[in-house]
Order: sequence, then structure tokens, then C-alpha cells
Amino acid sequence: MPALTMEGVSAGYGDQKVLEDIRLSVMPGEICGLIGPNGSGKSTLLRSVIRLGVEVRGSVSICGSSFSGLTRNQTARLVSYLPQNFNPNSHLTVFETVLLGRHPYRSGWSMDSTEDLETARKCMEETDTWELRGRVFANLSGGEKRLVMLASALAQEPRLLLLDEPGSSLDFRHQLNMWLLLKKLSGSGIAVLVSTHEVAMAGRYLDSVMVLSGGRAEAFGSPKEVFNTVILSKAFQVDLHVSHDGITDSWVVVPGVSR
Amino acid sequence: MRTVKVKRPSPVFWVLLGICILVASAVSLEVGPMTDPPSWVVTGLRFPRLVLALLTGAALSVSGCVLQSILRNDLATPYTLGISAGAGVVAGSVIVSGIMMPVMGLVAAGTAGALLAVVLVYVLASRGGRSEYGSTLILAGVTMNLVGASVLLLFEYFSDASRILEIVRWMMGDLAVIGWSKPLFLLPAVAAGLVMVMFRTGVMNQIAQGDDIAFARGVAVGRERNLLLASAALLAGSTVGVAGPIGFVGLMVPHIMRKFTGSDYRYLVPASAMGGMLLLVLADSVSRLLISPAELPIGIVSSLTGGPFFLALLLRSGRRTGG
Repeated sequence: MPALTMEGVSAGYGDQKVLEDIRLSVMPGEICGLIGPNGSGKSTLLRSVIRLGVEVRGSVSICGSSFSGLTRNQTARLVSYLPQNFNPNSHLTVFETVLLGRHPYRSGWSMDSTEDLETARKCMEETDTWELRGRVFANLSGGEKRLVMLASALAQEPRLLLLDEPGSSLDFRHQLNMWLLLKKLSGSGIAVLVSTHEVAMAGRYLDSVMVLSGGRAEAFGSPKEVFNTVILSKAFQVDLHVSHDGITDSWVVVPGVSR
Repeated sequence: MRTVKVKRPSPVFWVLLGICILVASAVSLEVGPMTDPPSWVVTGLRFPRLVLALLTGAALSVSGCVLQSILRNDLATPYTLGISAGAGVVAGSVIVSGIMMPVMGLVAAGTAGALLAVVLVYVLASRGGRSEYGSTLILAGVTMNLVGASVLLLFEYFSDASRILEIVRWMMGDLAVIGWSKPLFLLPAVAAGLVMVMFRTGVMNQIAQGDDIAFARGVAVGRERNLLLASAALLAGSTVGVAGPIGFVGLMVPHIMRKFTGSDYRYLVPASAMGGMLLLVLADSVSRLLISPAELPIGIVSSLTGGPFFLALLLRSGRRTGG
């Protein structure tokens, strides 16, 4: 059963239509990438999965259940979402911040259960943030904050993880670690839908890619099928030269080179 | 399995805080111009005054806590956001009009004014659909305070002499009561506000993380924020209606308590309620002792201590943001 199915989905903000007729299916353990120029609808597509500030038409199913049939808490137990930008006004420690991901499993005023504490610890170990547990979140570097927020998203124990440009503002080492981590997570059965501009690195770790342009799916397939000069040049509306480096199994995209 | 612990305030902290409130309350009952007062002075004047101080302290502190979390701004309080000013204008207009209104009417008037101010400040600060509330929010609050102060001055100008004294006294923050009517009428409003907030402390933690993240964790952000704003307005507005504007309690107490409890609102809110009780009972005793046998309005005592505290926080947040 797919972790996410979108059928004929159109989405937008008020009168502004951003996405049109999106069909997408992501299986458990699959990493699906969203690639496209700025404003092509990548973030809106991620937000439309959980209807976060977006008006959505069409059918969205999560783990076999129609979105409209799920309560907020049920959705939050199945899907977690990490936005591109976050700036918590928080004096909390890193461990407390990760524990907040357990919210869908609580109600009213409740203490942290042993299960909450253990889950938070596991997620921190998985994201390599356990050593930061006692530090104040606000004092971390940008890369550390992103990993901690990812740990917090994992603490929701999701079946589907939505990530909006998780590698932005990260250096090469942290970018690589992020993709390796996503690969590890997908290995445990979590489906990942991730928007990214890192074509070179993403191609190695993505199982499928949707190329978006002007709110429409320009192409969908494996990186080998989709990452080529014709498709990417058309989607990004700029001359690109796309080549595959067989030694590193990665794609090289050079803008400004006419075909 | 490795034991995982997270730092939480110890039971000793809560017990000590409780003992401090009890001791401060006992001292407060002893403080006054009469060293050996008759029993009616204690039961009819000092005891209801003590209860009013406890309720006001808890309400203003928790109101500040709520506003700081949902507006994601450390400087947000009922006073700095002009909520007290809004409550003051409406409650003040009732006093000036000379209408003999029961205490419940003052509570209702204060709450209505506070809600009106909340809506105005919120609309001003969130114009353009922004979800981050920074200096715009404080500026909107400052504007509200200035307008509120001007309207109250206008009331004074057109009031007769007997009313002027009453409203000036009220504007300075006044816990002096005769009998139990004020604390008893305030009690349900404060209790309702505190209960509404206590059951939403987990939600406050989430909203402080940002609207998108809170939403993705199952929080109905818009509805919860409105409910929390209404609770903050109820807490601040009802107390301002009865006791006048008492500034900076909602700013000082949550910041001080954070040092002991950390920033998790599940612990910070009850600690702030208790800390607010302690602070106001102590401040009330000080206000009665400083120029005894006369007394200093408690609003002056709280503003004199809270003003520098606010300035220090403002400078610190300015340094942190590089501004």
C-alpha cells in the first residue's frame, strides 16, 4: 500500500492557483524528490499533503486512508513535516525540543512518558544529535538546528516524512550526512518526499523524481530517466547541460551551456 | 535500556514556592497601620485584599506567559501590548460615568476592553499575513497604550472632582478593598482563565515552535491561538477591571520563573501563577510599609521595579538580534 497517493490534485492560496493536476504515489521505503525552479510549486505540493495553509482539490490518501477521513492527530502520527525555514522562539534544550515531536501522542496536560523519552533518545541517536541534548536549541548552529528538528519530526514516528529543502544552508559534509540519513530512514520503511535543488547529490539517493514547472508535473521517473538536458532545461527555462558521472554516480548540471 | 532523564523542577521547588507564598501571605495579614487590629480589619479588609493580590498576581503572570508563547515574543505582556490600556479605557469609562455598577460589571467591562485591545493589536501586528511577531507587535502595543492613556486623561478632564480622585487612584493600581465582593467576583474569571490555559500548555509549547510545525503536529493553530488570546484577555482584563492596571508583572514573573523551571510551558505556567501570587503579595506589603501609615499604590511599586527589568530585556534582545 502506498504511503502517499495524490490523484488529480490542484492546490493554491485563495485566487492564486499554484499546482494543477498532480498525480503522485510514494511507496514505503521510497525517497521521492521534487525538483523544479523557484515558484514551481514544490513547497506547495508538500504543504498540500497535510493541507497546511493551502486550499486543495483532488484526492490525497495517506497509508490507504483518505485525508478527509483522518483526524488531525491521526494525520500527525502518520506524517511529519519539516519546513524550509523555522525559527522557534524557544529557550528549550535540544532534548526538550525533540520531545515536542511527541505531541500527537498526548492530550491536555500530561507528563513525558517513558516511551516518549525513549523514542526521543532513539531519534536523536539516529540523527547524531544525542550529544547536543543538554544544549539550548537557540544556541546551535544552522546545521545542528536542522538535524535536531529532523529528530523532532522523527519523534512523531511517521510513516511519511515531508522535507522542504532539508539541505539548504548546510555545508557539503552536513548535506551528505543528511542524504545518508534519509537513505537510512527509508531503509526502515519510512517514505520520504523531499524538495531539493541539490541535483548532483540527490540523484544518487532518490528512488524517484518529479520535475515540477509552473505548477505542473513536467516529468516523473527515476533520476536516470528524468535528469537529462532536455527535461531539466525545459523545466528550469534556461540552457543546461546535464551529464552523468559514472565514477561517482552523480549528475553534473552546468547552466548557461546551449545544446 | 538506558535511563533517559530530562531536567524538570524538583518537588522541593514547588514546596518551597508554596511555603514562600504562605509566609508572605501571613506577613501581609500582619502589615498595616494598626499593629493590633480588631478581627474585622483582618477578615474584612486585609484578608480579602490578600486574596485579591493572589488572584491578580496569578492572572497577570499567566496572561504574560500565554502572550509570550503564542505571539512568539519575549516582550509581550498585557501591559506592553496595551491590553491593560484597553481594559482600562472601558473600565475607566464606567467609573467616570458614575453609574453604580456591581463589581461583576467592572470585571465584564475590563474583559471587554481587553478583548477589544487584543483584537486591535493582533490585527495591526499580523497585517499582511505575517506569522512572526516582532517589533510591530510592541509598536502596536505602545500605540494602544498611548491612545488608552489619552482617552483616560480625557475622561479625567471632563469628570467632576470626586470622580477624578477615584479614577486616578484606580489608574495607579489599587488592591484596597472593603469586604469580599471584589475578590469573589474576580475568582470565577481568573479560575476559568487559568484552567483554560493549563490544559493548553502543551499547545503553547507547539505554537512557540512556529505555526507550520505546530500544525504538522496536529494543533489547530488558528483556533487554539484565538482561545489562548481570549484566555489571556480574560485574565488580564478582569483583573484590570477590578484592581486597575498593574504593570510588568506579566513580564517579570515568567522570565524569573524560567530560571527555575526551564521553558516548558507545562511547568512554567503553574510556576508563573505561583510566582505572580508571591510577587504581588510581597509588593502589596511593601506598598503598605514604605510610607506607613499611608500606602503607595501597588501599580507604582510594580512599575518602578518592572520598568528597568523591561529595559534590560529589551537591550539583551537587541544585542542578540544584532540590533
